Amino acid sequence: MIIPIRCFSCGKACRLRHWVTGDLWEKFIKLIEEDGLTDGDALDQLGCKRYCCRRMVMTHVDLIEKLLKYTPDGRNLKKLEIQARDLEKQQQMM
Amino acid sequence: MPHKPPTKEELDRRKIIGIHEETITNVTSSDIPYHYPGEDHSWDIEKFRKGFSVEFHQNDPYEASFSLIGCDASIANAFRRIMIADIPTLAIETVFINNNTSVIQDEVLAHRLGLIPFKGGREGLHNFLKWWRKPADESQINSSYYDFNTVSLRLDVKCEHNENATPGEKDPTKLYKHAHVYARDIEFCPVGRQEKYFSGADAIAPVNPDILIAKLRPGQEISLSMHMHKGVGSDHAKFSPVATASYRLMPVISIERPILGKDAEKFARCFPPGVIGLEKVTKKEAAQKGSGYEGHEGELKAVVVDPMRDTVSRECLRHPEFKDKVKLGRRRDHFIFLVESTGQWESDAIFIEAVAHLKKKAKDLEKQVINMVR
Repeated sequence: MIIPIRCFSCGKACRLRHWVTGDLWEKFIKLIEEDGLTDGDALDQLGCKRYCCRRMVMTHVDLIEKLLKYTPDGRNLKKLEIQARDLEKQQQMM
Repeated sequence: MPHKPPTKEELDRRKIIGIHEETITNVTSSDIPYHYPGEDHSWDIEKFRKGFSVEFHQNDPYEASFSLIGCDASIANAFRRIMIADIPTLAIETVFINNNTSVIQDEVLAHRLGLIPFKGGREGLHNFLKWWRKPADESQINSSYYDFNTVSLRLDVKCEHNENATPGEKDPTKLYKHAHVYARDIEFCPVGRQEKYFSGADAIAPVNPDILIAKLRPGQEISLSMHMHKGVGSDHAKFSPVATASYRLMPVISIERPILGKDAEKFARCFPPGVIGLEKVTKKEAAQKGSGYEGHEGELKAVVVDPMRDTVSRECLRHPEFKDKVKLGRRRDHFIFLVESTGQWESDAIFIEAVAHLKKKAKDLEKQVINMVR
């Protein structure tokens, strides 16, 4: 759904400049979309050298973006508003 | 008839594992007592000390490569396994979720948080922090947390609309505040003596601040507190101080008969770059009878430059023109380690700690054996 924090196989998560799969994703997408690199070159540039780590990023499908579309944007705010109004009404009645 | 001591060539031959087109030979080590009649192969500390050496190839904080030369596979493997599973690190162990309205489920979020590697002051991490043990009586759990066994963290993020965003903006990170939750949003809450050990640059913080934890949309929020404890990799991989700790044996490439000209170039291409070099045949070599270089002065010949870079792909054995001209092998007692730290330890310190750990384990075993015979 969302990019995994670590590589499943080697557990590589964190190197200062590169190599969390968790932080690679956004950089990877940026390199592909903005700089027009191919996926292999982008991963090379990010310093993702092992094939286990490369497949984590290369084969990832960022489904969370789809789910985020169905979130109750504003609905929660509305609910809070209604609750506040109700509370006000109650207080006025008292 | 008295037994002749083995020649140096014979000793070298015994150390090399043969790698052939489809088979591997001479796999088991034979330097054990009574294997060769008349030869003494009993283990001796002086002999070991003389033959043993450590050589560093690369020593960066997060990646180290070194060779252990002259030790047995059992020892090298013990170090590897200790590095992966027995060296303690600090990681998020318990997550108390107050509110999580994001699309990431509580348990997935907690798992993701657990996997984030953290760093902090070495003195505090290695000496001040002790193990936390879950009390047998569950109701006593709240009185089991102390400053020396628990580090607490908080994560409070709320996604809101960004009023300053330009109209028509499509990028959610600009359209909303806190659309992406990163590891850097985690806040360290020092308690008691932790202020002394983990302040300033020594504060507990994620090694990589850019790790993406979750994505939010307006109205969603994550509010949680976390407890970190010390643990070992054998309990959960998140506690492992290394991303990978592995070793391979030193490749041996020996060119038995000259490989010249076009063949030499092809031969070099059978290996990763830098393994095989090309040199000109010198006058002296060409003058030497029986060397195979006669009449080839000035031609290119293949020479082994850096066998350590070889991946032992055996590509050169597939070509008929190199038949019987090259022998591949691996040295049985030369281990090239590659240790990649996740950030809490310096990668060379992990190895040194592993050595101390093995020593301690051996001492414990010795004590038990002595008790057993008593």
